[in-house]
Amino acid sequence: MAELSLRNIDKVYEKDGVKAVSDFNLEIKDKEFVVFVGPSGCGKSTTLRMIAGLEEITSGELYINGKLMNDVAPKDRDIAMVFQNYALYPHMNVYDNMAFGLKLRKFKKDEIDRRVKDAAEILGLEAFLDRKPKALSGGQRQRVALGRAIVRDAQVFLMDEPLSNLDAKLRVQMRAEIQKLHKRLETTSIYVTHDQTEAMTMATNLVVLKDGIIQQVGAPKAIYDNPDNVFVGGFIGSPAMNFFNGTLDEDGFHVSGNGQVITVPEGKMKVLRENNYIGKEVILGVRPEDIHDEPVFLDANPGSTIEANIDVAELMGSESYLYSKLADQDFVARVDSRTDVSGGETITLAFDMHKCHFFNAETEERIK
Amino acid sequence: MISKKRQSKIILTIASTIIALIWLSPFYLMIVNAFKSKFEIFSNVLSLPSEWKFDNFVQAFIDLDFLNALTNSFIVTFLSVLIIIVFSSMAAYALARNKSKLSGVFFLVFVAAMLIPFQSVMIPLISIFGRIDLLNTSGLIFMYLGFGSSLSIFLYHGAVKGIPVSLDEAAMIDGASRWRIFWTIIFPMLKPITVTVMILNVIWIWNDYLLPSLVLSQKSATIPLRMFFFFGQYTKQWHLALAGLTLAIIPVIVLYFFAQKHIIEGVAEGAIK
Repeated sequence: MAELSLRNIDKVYEKDGVKAVSDFNLEIKDKEFVVFVGPSGCGKSTTLRMIAGLEEITSGELYINGKLMNDVAPKDRDIAMVFQNYALYPHMNVYDNMAFGLKLRKFKKDEIDRRVKDAAEILGLEAFLDRKPKALSGGQRQRVALGRAIVRDAQVFLMDEPLSNLDAKLRVQMRAEIQKLHKRLETTSIYVTHDQTEAMTMATNLVVLKDGIIQQVGAPKAIYDNPDNVFVGGFIGSPAMNFFNGTLDEDGFHVSGNGQVITVPEGKMKVLRENNYIGKEVILGVRPEDIHDEPVFLDANPGSTIEANIDVAELMGSESYLYSKLADQDFVARVDSRTDVSGGETITLAFDMHKCHFFNAETEERIK
Repeated sequence: MISKKRQSKIILTIASTIIALIWLSPFYLMIVNAFKSKFEIFSNVLSLPSEWKFDNFVQAFIDLDFLNALTNSFIVTFLSVLIIIVFSSMAAYALARNKSKLSGVFFLVFVAAMLIPFQSVMIPLISIFGRIDLLNTSGLIFMYLGFGSSLSIFLYHGAVKGIPVSLDEAAMIDGASRWRIFWTIIFPMLKPITVTVMILNVIWIWNDYLLPSLVLSQKSATIPLRMFFFFGQYTKQWHLALAGLTLAIIPVIVLYFFAQKHIIEGVAEGAIK
């Protein structure tokens, strides 16, 4: 069991002088399942590899259980890692793949046997112990890679996009399996992904990254409900949050382009007023599910209704996504699938302004 | 009416049979004539022998001091190829995994060495080796390492690049040293290319005449050197030479058949990724 502490960590690649990670500060508590999420090239894998010791830390400090790890070899950090391409040894069978790390650490034969068989049982791999990796399916290979981490009984599990090589259905299944595994083993885990769904569903603590800089840290729900900036709001959630440019005055939010006024609730208005945003440009962020078409809602919120010409309506089954524009600014509404609309029709929608967010137009930070 | 598909199949079969026959004809000539008398070889080189003379083999065996020559050839070939495989695979691994500029330069130098014709370095090489008293079997093996490494490193380098670095990293986290990673993870995965390197070098070294002729003494002569015994200034004993050659290629053919299985295995393994 382990706690990690990353302090002011920077990573600069000497070759091209690219700063991959800058001033990374994070405390990871014991038993946490931390997910690093961000678009490709945001530094999430680099950070994970620095924790593993596969990448040198340019400056800053990495502590595991209070011990400085910067110059400790990967094998001495007591970590286990699962790779995107599984990295199974192709000429060894499943048993030997899992046993390899233990053999190198000079474990007794019966202890190795016990651990490998235990891990195989947890992962449902008992029948495949004699097989070579090439004779396994993608999901089974990924399980062997997990097994290799489990047998080690390491303090920290590091997972680098472990599900991205699997097909969609298997990914959902393995996602649940990894969560179950974490509940059972309670090993501190760090998981890297670019898939915000994976990040939302698995994390106990979510770290959103962009360009090597932490954008926000928190529980998935907290981040979803209160994104710190436009990037986080747009990245977390699917479909993404809608953003509208406009200006504020005492009447409400004036949408750029057509000047339509949307009434802002007093509670929000008070915050905006206190921060001197009246008369200034701001960005309004509305989640697709906070755009409604139910008559009851429309009647109750006459100040935030808009007339929307629907470009495309996508029926997803349980819900429908309506793609439209408000004064040339694209947005998506997520409504009940009973709404019978098709492309080209015009309907009335209303924003749930109690759940919307305002962002500074220049810094793109949320106004709190 | 024969379908078009079948027609092309028949043409292909005939063509490949002809090519195969052309390919096999030297073997036919060598083996058939090894059983003839010298006179019969010259009177009718293509026919089967009127009388199968096994005496040629016995005579060739004695004249060549065959067991001694075979042992010499075996020692030189086995040790040279072994050392070439060990050193060039390790060198290629280091060069492929180390992405510095210097390693790029080294690799280029190794590859460029392939273009140096042997004849241009032959005289200085022999004079230098003579001065340090290395004109013997171990000196020869050392020379083969030098001449054989560049192509082998080139081949291994390409193969190592095809192995994902994450395997090295996984093994590193598992607790393996660089040395261990190479020998237990990487080298076994290079098996197909090792077989290729082995065959190329065995064929070359086993059959090489020029370099051993400059380096080796009569006592430690390899089979190709001894074969020269049959080709005097005035007489050429073709019947004995061909019998000797037949004996000499047996080990190489055996090796090839043994290795062929591994080549196919290696190709198949590479296909299922």
